[in-house]
Amino acid sequence: MLRYVVRRLLLIIPTMFFVALITFTLAHAAPGSPFDRNVNRPLSQETIDRINRYYGVDKPIPEQFVTYLGNLVRGDLGLSFTRQRPVVEIIGQGIGTTFQLGAGALAFALAFSIPLGIISALKQNTLLDYGSMLVATIGTTIPSFVIAIFLISIFGVGLHLLPFVGWGSWQHMVMPIFVLGLGEGAFLTRITRASMLEAIRQDYVRTARSKGLRERAVIVGHALKNALIPVATIIGPATAALITGSFIIETLFNVPGMGRLYVISILQRDYPTIMGTTLLYAFLIMIANLTVDILYGVLDPRIKVR
Amino acid sequence: MATAATTQQQRAAEINVTVRKQRSLWRDAMYRLVRNRAALVGLIVIAFAALVAIFAPLIAPYDPLEQNGPKQLMEPIWTQFFGSKFTDPAYILGSDELGRDILSRLMYSSRVSLIIGLVPVSIVLVIGLTVGMLAGYVGGVVDDFLMRVTDVVYAFPDLLFVIIIVATLRGTALGEAYDGLLIIFVGIAVVNWVGVARLVRGQVLSVKNREFVEAARAIGAGPGRIMRKHIFPNILAPIIVTVAFAIPGAMLTEAVLSFLGIGIRPPTPTWGVMINDGFLVFSTTPWPVLLPSLCISIVLLAFTFVGDGLRDALDPRSKM
Repeated sequence: MLRYVVRRLLLIIPTMFFVALITFTLAHAAPGSPFDRNVNRPLSQETIDRINRYYGVDKPIPEQFVTYLGNLVRGDLGLSFTRQRPVVEIIGQGIGTTFQLGAGALAFALAFSIPLGIISALKQNTLLDYGSMLVATIGTTIPSFVIAIFLISIFGVGLHLLPFVGWGSWQHMVMPIFVLGLGEGAFLTRITRASMLEAIRQDYVRTARSKGLRERAVIVGHALKNALIPVATIIGPATAALITGSFIIETLFNVPGMGRLYVISILQRDYPTIMGTTLLYAFLIMIANLTVDILYGVLDPRIKVR
Repeated sequence: MATAATTQQQRAAEINVTVRKQRSLWRDAMYRLVRNRAALVGLIVIAFAALVAIFAPLIAPYDPLEQNGPKQLMEPIWTQFFGSKFTDPAYILGSDELGRDILSRLMYSSRVSLIIGLVPVSIVLVIGLTVGMLAGYVGGVVDDFLMRVTDVVYAFPDLLFVIIIVATLRGTALGEAYDGLLIIFVGIAVVNWVGVARLVRGQVLSVKNREFVEAARAIGAGPGRIMRKHIFPNILAPIIVTVAFAIPGAMLTEAVLSFLGIGIRPPTPTWGVMINDGFLVFSTTPWPVLLPSLCISIVLLAFTFVGDGLRDALDPRSKM
């Protein structure tokens, strides 16, 4: 087990290297620089040279990449092109908000998806089941920004009940957390239902029932415990998906988190920030995937980790 | 084929039994699919959208790019019953901030969406099938390569990876081709072929040592023939289901990119572009945003229903 974890952790290093290489190459393949955006007032060659020297982009590209990697190992992600501040500092400011949003959305998603999934499995093929499956399908299919638009037009513009720009008070958080959590929760509902349906048909459930346990004890103590294993393991990637998937919601509701930072830096071609956020996202995803694989082994002793 | 069937019927007549009409796996699956009501509705919606897309130039009342200054921001005609004074019978669904007819723009948008659903997914399928079959059946270098590429691509959040590719290469000739359509094809294909390749590889591994493959090998079939005639038909079902879900996925990617302003270049209408445009006037009138949002939701739901139906039809055991 320990060897497996160590090997997986070591595998993160080459993967991060390639993620950095690809992003770096793409960024440098893009024509033009972020400093030549004002066509009417072109900068003098002297100024451009000075800017390029300042950001270290006057050197050959392979050398820049090596320098970047060296700094990366020391936790330095370089200077933002547009904000004149270290990328680490900018990301540090946004990440708290993104985690707040993600945690809220996850809590909301779990709170409605697990009960709903269990109930619709226990009442399979009833109206309740069809209803919750329809909600789950709509929640997974309709894009989050479309749901957000509908909510904003009803509660924001129409009824003036909730603010839809910014972050801070609980009123600001309601709609972004709801929208972000809805899609993930809908997905979790489907997983919970499928897994619960599988569990209540197992032999050990029949055994529990035949030895005279009360229905409640059968469901909670025997079926549910096993049914929640796949659900628990999916929470890792779900968290990663919430954190990396919040960029649309953050952009739409003007939430000052990492996702909005990412979109803005892409629109402004602020490559150091793009690289920094991408690497952080990739790292989070790999950690989430690793956690799941370990969790699988811990929760379900039947699965042997290679 | 016909002679074989006749002989079978003649033989049946001779020995006086009725031959049950043979039903293949695919016919069975098709039957189950159209009996699934949600899937049937989905198929009808998709067929309707496809017809609108194909005949858009004939049925659209206006040129989708034609601007009519005095007729800006007309609201849909039904809003007049709720007190709106800004309606015009000539603009059934109203007009946008430049006085362009929303109905015509919605119709033309379906063209882009369907192209985005078909072209990149076909590319993904061809690359994914080839690499996945080779990796699964031959193994060796191709397999090692696939596994390493998978590690890297899976570490990228998929939508963010497409965004990076599209955003950085937007200024190049590739990014400008066909109003930005080509670079979206490339982005979706680069990110998604790995998943299909992985799926195909796994499926090939699970069937390649089964008896029917061994039998084919025993009678001297070469690897190419075994892969095409014996393995491929047996791994088709999960691939079809994946493709059915990949199509709405690709459409959604385009919508998100255009919505963020880095997808299809305006003024070419797509639902994502229309939502992005409409946001400028959202507080004045929500219709230029709401109507394309509604269209994309309906089409995505239709594809999901068909995908769910296909999965149930092709694999009756799955319950999700």
